Amino acid sequence: MDHRLYFVLGDLLANTLVGALIGVLAELIVSTSWNMNVAMLVLMALGMLIAGILSLLIGALLGAMEVMVPVMLTGMVSGMVVGMWAAMAPLSGTTAALIGAVCGFVSVVGVWIVNNAVRGVTTIESSDEPHG
Amino acid sequence: MVDTATQQKWDKAAPLFDLMAGAGAEKRWEPFKRALFSKMDGRVLFAALGTGLDIAVFPPDQNITAIDISPKMLEVAAARIAAYPGDLQAEVMDVHEMTFDDDSFDQIFTSCTFCSVPNPIAGLQSLKRVLRPGGDMYMFEHTGSRYYPFKVMMHLMTYATRLIGPDMNRTTVTNVRAAGFEVLEVNNLFLDVVKTIHARKRM
Repeated sequence: MDHRLYFVLGDLLANTLVGALIGVLAELIVSTSWNMNVAMLVLMALGMLIAGILSLLIGALLGAMEVMVPVMLTGMVSGMVVGMWAAMAPLSGTTAALIGAVCGFVSVVGVWIVNNAVRGVTTIESSDEPHG
Repeated sequence: MVDTATQQKWDKAAPLFDLMAGAGAEKRWEPFKRALFSKMDGRVLFAALGTGLDIAVFPPDQNITAIDISPKMLEVAAARIAAYPGDLQAEVMDVHEMTFDDDSFDQIFTSCTFCSVPNPIAGLQSLKRVLRPGGDMYMFEHTGSRYYPFKVMMHLMTYATRLIGPDMNRTTVTNVRAAGFEVLEVNNLFLDVVKTIHARKRM
């Protein structure tokens, strides 16, 4: 992770806010009449898409890939969790925002943990980026 | 012949490029770019200069030839080029069809270049042609990721970003090797997405 305070706080704030926003959106879209699996998949995709667009705006302040990757993950996780939850039981907007914010916090911390494991000089063989 | 589709795409992006890519990304990447560009020495080719945001972290008193496919980008860069304390010449040129002689440069630098070059392996081979044998290429690039779910996210994002600018899922390390360079070091700066690459043209 980036140790500069501006980026640490900025990343945390951006991801918790985007998580909360996607959570509220998921709560507004999904009702208990939805199939739980469908809600999970649809809101996962929608959350990632909206978060991707938001990351372009946030990126002007905080960076490019370092913003886009965690924010899109936040959108995906928040949409998935809140969408699934809202399909099972009615949620208030506040609760949805809170769950989304927690998803954002967990996502950005998860990216920091993976980043600490991956960053640094690599062996040349493992630096290939094979694509499926 | 210049790739006019790519040229027009970047000409369109030029007026707002600094707003979108400037403050946040440059502030985040500044220490890494400064360290990479501090290796500049001899006849340097910089591909592609864009709006010249990187000039702020070029070491002074270097002999740098910069190219970019977009004249509009270089128009925005003009003031930064003029302010550089050294010899910095910029030309509109497609990396695929450079007019420089073979083995013209001691070093090549790129900065977020091969996310955008339409045919990256051909572009890298073109760079290899103008680099002297034994010369070094230093790259600051973003690529796709080999790790899930980031890999899928980068692929999906590319559908959108490709319309206005760069791809997010390039395999630049693999491409550098495919172009015939010897890859000496890959340093991941953020996940395996943002990285510096040090490669060399074999003797």
